[in-house]
Amino acid sequence: MKVKKLTRRDFLKTAVVVPVASTFGCSCLSCPKPAPAAPAAAGTARITSISRKSRVVLVRDAAAVGENRAINAAVVQKMLDDAVMTLFGETNPVSAWKRIVGPGDTVGIKTNIWNYLPTGKELEDAIRGRILEAGVPAERIAIRDRGVLDDPIFQQATVLINARPARVHYWSGMGSCLKNYIMFVPKPSAYHDDACADLGAIWKLPPVKDRTRLNILSMLTPQYHNIGPRGFSEKYLWTYGGLIVGQDVVAVDATGYSIIRAKRLEVFGEDKPLETSAHHIQLADTRHGLGKSKPEDIELIRLGWTENILI
Amino acid sequence: MSDALSAEAVRLLALLPVEAQGWKGDGADQAFDRETIFEYIDGSGEVFRAFDMRLLVSRRYKNPGRADVVIDFFDMGSSADAFGVFSHDLEGEDWGLGQGSLYKGGLLQFWRGRYFVSLFAESENPETTAVLAEMGKAVAAAAGPDGPKPDLVGFVPEKWRGGQVRYFHNPQILNYHFYVGSENVLNLGPEAAGVLAIIGAKAEKRACLIVRYKDEAGAEAARTGFLRVYSPETIAPETAGERAQGLIRLKDGRFAAAGRAGRFFCAVFGEPAADSALAAWKEAAADLE
Repeated sequence: MKVKKLTRRDFLKTAVVVPVASTFGCSCLSCPKPAPAAPAAAGTARITSISRKSRVVLVRDAAAVGENRAINAAVVQKMLDDAVMTLFGETNPVSAWKRIVGPGDTVGIKTNIWNYLPTGKELEDAIRGRILEAGVPAERIAIRDRGVLDDPIFQQATVLINARPARVHYWSGMGSCLKNYIMFVPKPSAYHDDACADLGAIWKLPPVKDRTRLNILSMLTPQYHNIGPRGFSEKYLWTYGGLIVGQDVVAVDATGYSIIRAKRLEVFGEDKPLETSAHHIQLADTRHGLGKSKPEDIELIRLGWTENILI
Repeated sequence: MSDALSAEAVRLLALLPVEAQGWKGDGADQAFDRETIFEYIDGSGEVFRAFDMRLLVSRRYKNPGRADVVIDFFDMGSSADAFGVFSHDLEGEDWGLGQGSLYKGGLLQFWRGRYFVSLFAESENPETTAVLAEMGKAVAAAAGPDGPKPDLVGFVPEKWRGGQVRYFHNPQILNYHFYVGSENVLNLGPEAAGVLAIIGAKAEKRACLIVRYKDEAGAEAARTGFLRVYSPETIAPETAGERAQGLIRLKDGRFAAAGRAGRFFCAVFGEPAADSALAAWKEAAADLE
């Protein structure tokens, strides 16, 4: 691959257009393999951006989900490893994780416990296991959804890992990685206006600002339509067998949203667009400067199973 | 969730069956109000708040080895809002319960009087479908008497009555079904409710929107606001003169017409020609004085 030189002008342009890119270590690996990160022990290892695109990895495996939605933990571990290695340009999963966490870190894994479609123990364990192998002591790792504001590990966290399943959502359009941080505010409903348009603002609040190193949107069995007060029916889940992984939360969510919209188009036809616009994803880009939502600004790397990939 | 159930919650829970076909209440009944509903419902809680929900009581039923069934019983404060929240989701098969019912994918919903009821089986199969039918019949009988639909529904012109008719007073509910714009240009709220009727599908889809205001000034403000900002991405280049007359050319080649009639704002969408749009608007507005 031809290495593109980063000029000062390029750097400044990138910094101006997406100032958060540097804050979050940027997701951009579209060009060359990034320079080796600082030692993980520093706990601040970040990727240096030399591209304007946000790198997102979509990994799929047909064996990830079995009968009755049983998740194959070993397959999910491999998928996560492949995605993280690709994202960071490493050939070993632990080396890849050491790019984002190290022994000096305190790590909060923000999960999602919605009983009908949770993040799931298999994915949580896969994340936690690699963080342990990267040198973070077990007592400084917490996995939690509700109550994060009162959790001492989350309060002291130097690193947050954000993991949740993708689903349509009655009020925000999509249950996204962006939306997963709504538990970091004392009154989540304060962010419900205009279909949760300003969820991106949460990411600049003290409990989370500058701390998120990785976003994992589980597309193992996403939900493409919802009904009723609970917003759930098994009928509207489908086995996609995927994970979307990236450092740019907006790019990760935009990719997932594209897939869900494509699924709805496939099932319902052109007459049934997503009822509630998930414009919080676009606004996280255009209003809050949190990341990149346009496909042309996202370097999407596809790994594994390609049947019915929808993107 | 309230720690101790209120007298009203206890009264509503008494309307729910204790058991049916082997499913028994799990003994952990719950009650939620407008503020605590988010502790229980993720996502659609705002839908119920948008329709002025007062109280929700919930009972979970268990039957060993089988999927749980949950009844959520909502007091919406008025039969208009019970109809409104029911009309929010009009997909499904009519089971003939209450004043309107629909079943799909393990979910049975109906309204009667000021109550909206959801009966949900966590897995859909013949057994759970049967118990939903029995429970639904029992709850519908207990939830009486009937209540009136919103009187605004009566203003929907004959032409649109055969389609899907929805009632609302929240802009996001309107946008959910028919996107008007990100701003609340019609100033929908407690004193400005509307009905939306949709007929046809895809290229043949047509809509009629009627909103009633406290006074003519309110309706006029809605008219000017709407013509100023209505969903610009759907509007074709047109002359200012046409828009001033309330006629809007849409990008798909069809037409919309909008205007005020007394204290009502009214708009029709999806007409094939300018003439038919204006005619449809006149027909819709004829009884709105």
